[in-house]
Amino acid sequence: MIENIDFEQKTDEELVSIVLENQSIFSHLVNRYKDKLLRYIRRISNVGLEEAEDILQNIFIKVYLNLNDFDNSLKFSSWVYRIAHNEVIDNYRKRKARPQLLDIDIKDSQIKELAGDTNILEEFVRQELKQEISVAISQIDIKYQEIIILKYIEEKDYQEISDIIKKPLGTVASRMNKAKAELKKVLLVSRKL
Amino acid sequence: MENNTFNQEILEKLKEIKPTARWHFLLRNYAIWISGVLALLIGAAAVSVIIYLSSYNDFAIRQDINKSLGEMLLLTLPYFWLIFLSLFVFIVYYNLKHTKTGYRYSIGLIITGAVVASIFLGAIFFAAGLGQELDEVLGQNAPLYCAMMNPHVDFWSNPEEGRLIGMIASQVDGESFILIDKNRHEWVIQVKGNDFIAMPLSGGPLRLIGQKKSDDIFEVFKILPMMPGHGFFKKFKAAPHSPVPGQFMGGARIIESTELNF
Repeated sequence: MIENIDFEQKTDEELVSIVLENQSIFSHLVNRYKDKLLRYIRRISNVGLEEAEDILQNIFIKVYLNLNDFDNSLKFSSWVYRIAHNEVIDNYRKRKARPQLLDIDIKDSQIKELAGDTNILEEFVRQELKQEISVAISQIDIKYQEIIILKYIEEKDYQEISDIIKKPLGTVASRMNKAKAELKKVLLVSRKL
Repeated sequence: MENNTFNQEILEKLKEIKPTARWHFLLRNYAIWISGVLALLIGAAAVSVIIYLSSYNDFAIRQDINKSLGEMLLLTLPYFWLIFLSLFVFIVYYNLKHTKTGYRYSIGLIITGAVVASIFLGAIFFAAGLGQELDEVLGQNAPLYCAMMNPHVDFWSNPEEGRLIGMIASQVDGESFILIDKNRHEWVIQVKGNDFIAMPLSGGPLRLIGQKKSDDIFEVFKILPMMPGHGFFKKFKAAPHSPVPGQFMGGARIIESTELNF
C-alpha cells in the first residue's frame, strides 16, 4: 500500500526500487536532490539560473531513464552526482565557453579547511579570501575546479569523488594535490597584483 | 525555483518516457565483458605464436652465421605479433575501463594484468600446440606471411650471407639435392663438411648454413630443421624421396630434430 508508506524514512536505494513500480514517487528523489544539484551545477559552471534549471531537468530525466542501471554497490548520491557531472561537462563542451566567475556560495568552515590545506589562511582576511577563492577557482582548469568543489564545497570523500568522476583513487588524490597547487599559485599571483 | 512547478514539469516529462529496460544494460555489460575476454584470448593466441617462433631463434648457432645476439634478436623479433598483442591488450584495457567498476583501476594495473594474463594463457595455448597450428594455417593462407608474420623466413633467405631456407624438391643422391626457396627458386645444394645434418621427420622446411657458389648453387655446411613456416612451404611441391632420419648424406648422418641440442 504505497499511500501508507513514509517515504521520508526510506533510503535513496529503497526509493529507487519503489520508483520503478510507481513513477510518481520519483518526486521524492527530486525533492531530495534538486537544491543540492542546482547549487552544484551553478558552482561548476557559470550558467544562469534558468539554464541551470534546464540542465537539472535533463539530469533528472537521465536519472529516471537509467534507474535500472543503478548499481547498489555505489551510493545513490554518487551515482546522481556522476550523471550531473557528465551533464555539466557535456553542456560545457557544447558552450565551449570557459566560466569567468563561478557562483560559489562558500561557508566559513569550508574556507578555513581549504585555506588551511593551501597554507594561506594567515595571509588573508577571511571575507576577502572568500571572494578571492571564488575568483581563483574560476581561473583554474575545469578538472581542478570540479575536484576542489566536490571535496571542499560538496564535502564528498575521495571514494565518492572517484565514483562521481570515474577515476581511480590515486588519480583523485594526485589531481587534488595539483588542484590545490594551482589554486595556491593563482591566489598568490592575485595578491601580488 | 518553485518546488511544485519544477516537480510537476519533471513528472509531466516523465509521463512520456519509461526507464530503459534492465536487459538493455545487462546486454551492454555482457557485450563489454565478452569482447574483453575474446580480446584477451586473441592476445594469448598471439603470445603462443610468439613463443613458438622464439623457440626456433637458435641463438646458440649465431657464431655459425656471424651475427651478434642483438642483431639476431632484432632481425628475428616477431614484430607483427608483438603489435598484434599490443592492440588486443589495448582492447582488453578499453573494455575493462568501460565495465561498471573499471574506472577504479589505474591504467598501469589493467595493462599489467592483461599482459600477465595473456602470457599465462599464451603459455598454455603454446603447450597445447595452438602456436604451431596458427603458424601453419597462416603460412598456408595468409598473404604477406613471410614479410609480416614469420620473420625467420626472411632472415634465413639470405644466401649472400650464407643462410638459405626451403624445401627439398628432389631425390637426395648423397652429394647434392635440389632445394626450392621461398621465391620458388631452385638451388642445387652441395653437401660439404663433417658437421651434422639434421632433418625433421615431418619433412618441414630446412635451414641451411653455408656459402653461395653461384646464382643456383649453394654449398652447405650445416642443415637445421625449421618448424615455423611449415605451412608456408607445404604449398611447394613435396620431395619425391625425402630423406629419412638415420640416413647418411654427404658423409654426415641425418638425425632427428629431437636429437639436436641447440
